[in-house]
Amino acid sequence: MNALDVAWKDIQILLKDRGQVILLFVLPIVFVMAFSAALSASANSQPAIDVPVVNLDAGGEKSQNLVDRLNADQGLKTQAYGDEAQAEADLKDEKIKLALVIPAGFTSDIEAGQVAKLRLVRGPAASESEITTVRLVAEGIAADLSLETQLEAGLSQMGAMMGDAPAATQAFTVERIKAQAESQYERAKTDPLLAVEARWPAALTGGKEEFEPSSFSMAGFAILFAFMGAQVTAASIHDEKKLGTFRRLQTSPLSRFELMVGKMLPNFVIALVQVAIIFGLSVVLLPLMNLGAPSLGSDPLALVVVTVVLAVCSMGLGVFIAALARTESQVGGIATVLLWVSGMVGGAFLPAFLLGNFLNTIGKVVPHYWALQAYNDLLIRGKGLVDVLPAVGILAGFALLFLVVGLAKFRFD
Amino acid sequence: MAEPILVVEELQKSYGDNHAVRGVSFRVARGEIFGLLGPNGAGKTTTISMLTGLFPPDAGTVTVDGLDLKTQLAAVKAKLGLVPQELALYPTLSARQNLTFFGKIYGLRGKQLSNRVKEVLEMIGLTDKADKAIETYSGGMKRRVNIGAGLLHKPEILFLDEPTVGVDPQSRNAIFENVEMLNREGMTVIYTTHYMEEAQRLCHRVGIIDTGKVIALDTPSALIRSLGGGIIFLGVAEEQAEALAEQVTQLPAVKAATRTDGQIKIETHRVQEGLMGALDLANRLDVRLTSLEILEPNLESVFLHLTGKKLRQ
Repeated sequence: MNALDVAWKDIQILLKDRGQVILLFVLPIVFVMAFSAALSASANSQPAIDVPVVNLDAGGEKSQNLVDRLNADQGLKTQAYGDEAQAEADLKDEKIKLALVIPAGFTSDIEAGQVAKLRLVRGPAASESEITTVRLVAEGIAADLSLETQLEAGLSQMGAMMGDAPAATQAFTVERIKAQAESQYERAKTDPLLAVEARWPAALTGGKEEFEPSSFSMAGFAILFAFMGAQVTAASIHDEKKLGTFRRLQTSPLSRFELMVGKMLPNFVIALVQVAIIFGLSVVLLPLMNLGAPSLGSDPLALVVVTVVLAVCSMGLGVFIAALARTESQVGGIATVLLWVSGMVGGAFLPAFLLGNFLNTIGKVVPHYWALQAYNDLLIRGKGLVDVLPAVGILAGFALLFLVVGLAKFRFD
Repeated sequence: MAEPILVVEELQKSYGDNHAVRGVSFRVARGEIFGLLGPNGAGKTTTISMLTGLFPPDAGTVTVDGLDLKTQLAAVKAKLGLVPQELALYPTLSARQNLTFFGKIYGLRGKQLSNRVKEVLEMIGLTDKADKAIETYSGGMKRRVNIGAGLLHKPEILFLDEPTVGVDPQSRNAIFENVEMLNREGMTVIYTTHYMEEAQRLCHRVGIIDTGKVIALDTPSALIRSLGGGIIFLGVAEEQAEALAEQVTQLPAVKAATRTDGQIKIETHRVQEGLMGALDLANRLDVRLTSLEILEPNLESVFLHLTGKKLRQ
């Protein structure tokens, strides 16, 4: 029971340290929210870019077609501007970021097979990505319009040439050819032969079509900050040595085993509480803030098993750091390398596939990677306990390694 | 000697080539205040650390109330209380939380624990501030909590390792009174210090320790008596020292006179008479005196006499 007394005393000390409480319990939630927002933004479409359009070809069929197609693109939202001078004044005042000018005679020029130039005017507030996006979309639509017009003209010309032949030998009339071509254009728009689908890699999603980026952030930061408890344990042991309380406790009936268990236990408990808080608040708060709806998977028992092994591993790492570090600054330095850098290469911040082959390979030598694999299997890929056992086994191996080496190298003096 | 509660035999501890404790032996009677007096680095804290089970000796035995420290460590530790030299407390916790924690570590629980914490808080005079974090306390108040934490389980032997270092005179007196009160209640106290006046005031017997060895052990008065009436150091020219030392030795009030580094060290039976005689001789022999120092008979001069060093060097 003495070990519990030591553990409770450490928890009391921890709760009086606002900095540590913020680091361990508040910061993870902030990180989850920030990274969920960032990943959601990259996963979902960006807000539509406002495109003020000055149509100097008012009433023209092709210019109207161009505006309609611009509006059909989910990334753009047109806004009619009647006056080019007004548009330029608003650009200068940064009321608008850019303006697309459709020149007079746009329709007639295209129909006549002549070059028609759209003008994209940028203001100082426009970003390069916005300009590039609008330019590429407008160029694509203009090219389609030009191609359609030229094809229709060519087909009309062929029809006219066939018009001189006897009616019995005419397979197609000009009207039928044009109607067929227009029908093909419409079909190409609604049911294209070539389509591009944006999706997350199967390595991350396990082939599931539904992927919630906030689940990834929630697991990643739960792991990163659960391991932060190791630094708190190492610093606490170092503080006790500095204060002389470690020496005092060793002259009491408390055995060294009880003392070490008492010092490690808060790390274990804190890691469990951290994961519970991070998962719980993420599931409740993120949907309310429109930052995604993370999943807790379908196997609660597996989730508990992974979390317990993670907490044991964090506990072992705390003793390992305490054994390696001889000074307070060494605790900070070793913890930075073992916790933050390992978290980074282990994929806690960003999905492993975004880190490149080198970092992705290195990541496999840190416990964060395996904890993340297990959580991702459960939360994202919808797997169960049996599926995560290999990753959990490797994580348990890390825990054993840290505990054995840490306790063997630990100095009580 | 009354029944010994602590028996220390030939205790030794080395750190590489540094022989910190070299065959320390002594016995402490139940109910005694025993002082270990010696300069910093003499081996006092290492000895205390071994006696309290912090680490084992390289050689030697320690018996506490008939129990062997090596084989019955847990039972021995339960009988001991340590007040370490440093303020071994948790600064962000209150005095009550600190005392409660240390009480639990020694097995106190429930009503017994809360009563004992209350008693100790009253004894150290901190009942009013018991719930404030001790980092807000003065140095003297922290020292008192440090002592209180070693008393909760009513140890049979209380080890106080330099408990007054950095303490103001008022708090120092309060500590002395606490130690004397605990001793009156029957507690055996082992008190280490490098302040000879503390050892002289508190201790029934004193072991003088230097370079890891006990070089003298007796009651303070017996140790002082062994020195005689005091020591006189006369600074003289090197070429005249030999002749003066020979003559001084013949004086009836002088026990011995020896030459050391341009000085003559004169151990006396009666310091005033010895001084008058030595000055008269110097005058008659036309010896030029360069300095004069008189050490009153006390533990400081005993230590100086035994080691040639001052306690606070």
